[in-house]
Amino acid sequence: MSLEIQNLHVRIEDREILKGVDLKVSKGETHALMGPNGSGKSTLANTIMGNPNYEVTEGKILVNGEDVTEADPDDRAKAGVFMAFQYPATIPGVSVANFLRTAVNARREEPIKVKEFGQTLRTNMDLLKIDPEFTKRYLNEGFSGGEKKRAEILQLAMLKPEFAVLDETDSGLDIDALRIVSDGVNALRGPDLGTLIITHYTRILQYVTPDFVHIMLDGRIVQEGGRELADQLEEKGYDWVREEVAAGAS
Amino acid sequence: MPPSFLEERRKAALEVYEREPVPTWRRSGFWTTTLRNLHLDELEPRHYDPVGSVEELPEVAREALGSEELGGLIVQRGASTIYTELDPAFAEQGVVFTSLERAVEEHTELVEQWYMKRLSEDEGKFPAAAAAFWTGGAFLHVPKNLKLEKPIQVVYVIDEPGTAQYAHTLGVVGEFSECYLREYCLAPDFEGQALHAGGFELYCQTGSQVRLAHFQDWGAGEVYDISTKRVEIARDAHCGWVPIHLGGHLTKQTLDIITAEKGSDMRHNGLYFTEGTEHLDLFTTDLHEQGNTTGDTVWKGALTGESRASYEGLIQIEEGAQQTNTYLQTHSMLLSPKAKADSIPSLIVKTDDVSASHGGTVGEVDEEIVFYMMTRGISRQDAVRILVEGYFEPVIGKLEDDVLAELVRERIAGKIAAAEDHVEEYIAQR
Repeated sequence: MSLEIQNLHVRIEDREILKGVDLKVSKGETHALMGPNGSGKSTLANTIMGNPNYEVTEGKILVNGEDVTEADPDDRAKAGVFMAFQYPATIPGVSVANFLRTAVNARREEPIKVKEFGQTLRTNMDLLKIDPEFTKRYLNEGFSGGEKKRAEILQLAMLKPEFAVLDETDSGLDIDALRIVSDGVNALRGPDLGTLIITHYTRILQYVTPDFVHIMLDGRIVQEGGRELADQLEEKGYDWVREEVAAGAS
Repeated sequence: MPPSFLEERRKAALEVYEREPVPTWRRSGFWTTTLRNLHLDELEPRHYDPVGSVEELPEVAREALGSEELGGLIVQRGASTIYTELDPAFAEQGVVFTSLERAVEEHTELVEQWYMKRLSEDEGKFPAAAAAFWTGGAFLHVPKNLKLEKPIQVVYVIDEPGTAQYAHTLGVVGEFSECYLREYCLAPDFEGQALHAGGFELYCQTGSQVRLAHFQDWGAGEVYDISTKRVEIARDAHCGWVPIHLGGHLTKQTLDIITAEKGSDMRHNGLYFTEGTEHLDLFTTDLHEQGNTTGDTVWKGALTGESRASYEGLIQIEEGAQQTNTYLQTHSMLLSPKAKADSIPSLIVKTDDVSASHGGTVGEVDEEIVFYMMTRGISRQDAVRILVEGYFEPVIGKLEDDVLAELVRERIAGKIAAAEDHVEEYIAQR
C-alpha cells in the first residue's frame, strides 16, 4: 500500500518545474522532502492533489496502485490522499465544524451521526489543544498562522487519510505552535498512515522523526537517505547539496 | 360604500395610471429594464373563494409556510383574500391584522391616518396601478407596548397565468412595541404571464423594535413584479429589514428605508439569486431625514444562467441631518459566463458632519477555494454551493429566523444544482 510518484514532469504555463520525480511513500512510513525555495516541493504537493494550475506532461501518480494522474482532486481525496496546505484558503461564512462535517460526509454513504461526529471532533481538538469555540469560527477567517496550521492538522485527524502530504506545515509557526502541531502529527502516525513532510527547514524534524529524507533541487530529487541526511543538511546547508550534485555531474 | 379618502386616492391614482405610458427604465451603460414583452391587456384580476384551513391553501404557500406556529396569517390568492387568521391572544391585546379591504371598513380612522403616508400614486404607472386597483391587501396594527413573540405572516400567491395581482400591505407598529412581520410572494412554475404590482408601507413608531422579512420566489413562469416598498422609522425606533429575492421573470422594485427622526436605526440586509433569463432591477434608498440616525445596508447577489441583475443603492442624507452614521455595501457573484451584474452604490449628502460611506464589488467563484474544498473530498458542485451559501450566510443570519433561513438555503441549493452546467461551463472558460 503506497503513494507512488513515477517520473513526474510538471509544467506551469511554459515553465517546467518538476523534471522527473520518483518517490514512494508506503503506509506506516514518514518521509521528509526537503529543498530550498523554488526547488519544486510545493509543486509536487499540489500536483499530487490535482491542482488544475499544474500540468503533468509525463509520469504517473499512483495511490495503492490506482493511477490518479488525471483524477479530480475530490476523487484523489476519496482514494485516500490528503494535503495540509501551506496557505489554506479562507472560506467565508462556513464554520470549522460545518466544513469538517461536510468533508467527513463526502466520503461516507450515510452521513455521520451528530453524536459520533461531536465526540470525534472533541477528541481531536483535545489532541491539538484547540479551544472548543474555535469550531464556530468561519474556516481560516481571521485565523493566525498557527491557528490555520492547527486547523489543517485537525482536518487530517478528522478525515483519516491513508497518505498525508504536509506542505510547509512548519512555516510561520512559533515554537509552541510547532510543538503542538508536531505532537498532533506524531499522534496520528501509525501503520495506517503514510506521511510526506515537505519543509525548507529541519526544525520540524527535531519533533517528527522521519524514516526517510529526500532532498529536492531544481525539480529533481538529488539525494536520499535516512534521518541522518537531515542532520547533515542542518549542519552544511543547501549549498553543500548543490556542490555534491555538481561534483557528481562532472 | 368605501370611505371617501380611499375613493379619492383611487381616483387620483387612476388618473396617473391612464396618463402614464408603460415605462422603460434606462441607465447609462448597458442597463435597460423594459416591459415591451408584457401583455398587460391580457392580464386580469382573478377571484377565488376563501378556504377554511391552512391545509386547503395552494400548495406553493403550504410548502413555503411549513408547520411553524404563526401569530397571524393572511393569504391572498390573485385578487382575493382567501385566508385570515390571528392568534386570539394577540387580538385580545388589541392587535389588528386583517385584509386591508376589511380594515378600511372596520378601522377606517386608523387606516386613514396612515394609508399612503409615504407612498404616492404619482410615482409612475405601476405604483399608480397598485394604488388604484388593489384588492384584498393586508393591514397590521400593533398597539403600543406590546411584544409579539410569534411572526405575523402575509402571503401573496399567483398560481395561474393571466393573473394581474394588485397588492397593498400597510403595517403600523406602535410605540415601544416589538414584532416580526414576514411577507412572501410566491408562484409555482407555470407557462404564461402574470403581474404583481404592489405597494408596501410599514411605520415603526417611537421606540419600536421591528424585524421585517420579504421572501420572493415567483417560480419559472413569466411573472413581472413591479413594486414599491417603504419603511419609516420614528424616533429611537429600530428596524432590521431582510428582503430575499429568489427570482421572478422580471422584477423592478424600489425599496426605501427612512430614518425619519432622531435616534432611529435601520439595518437593511438583502440578497438575490437569479437564474435562467431572469431580470432583476433593484433600487434602494437609505434616506436619513434627521440627524443622529444610523444605518447599515448590505446587499449580496449571485447570478446563474443568462440572468441580469442590477442593484443600485443610494444613501441620501437630508439637510440638517448631522451626526448621521451610515454605510452601504453591495456585492455580486457571477456563477455563469452569460450572466451580467451591476452594483452601483451612490451618495447624496446635503449636510456636513456625517459619516457615510459605500462600496461595491462584482466577483467570481474563487477557483483556489474550490480546489481547497475538493482536496477534502467535496465535489465541485458542493464546493460551489458551500461557497455561495457561505457568501450569503451573513445576510441569512440577519433573519434571526431558523425556519425562513432553512427555506432560503434549501431553495438556493436547488437553484445551484439546477445551474450546474452553467457553473461548469463558467469554470471551464476561465
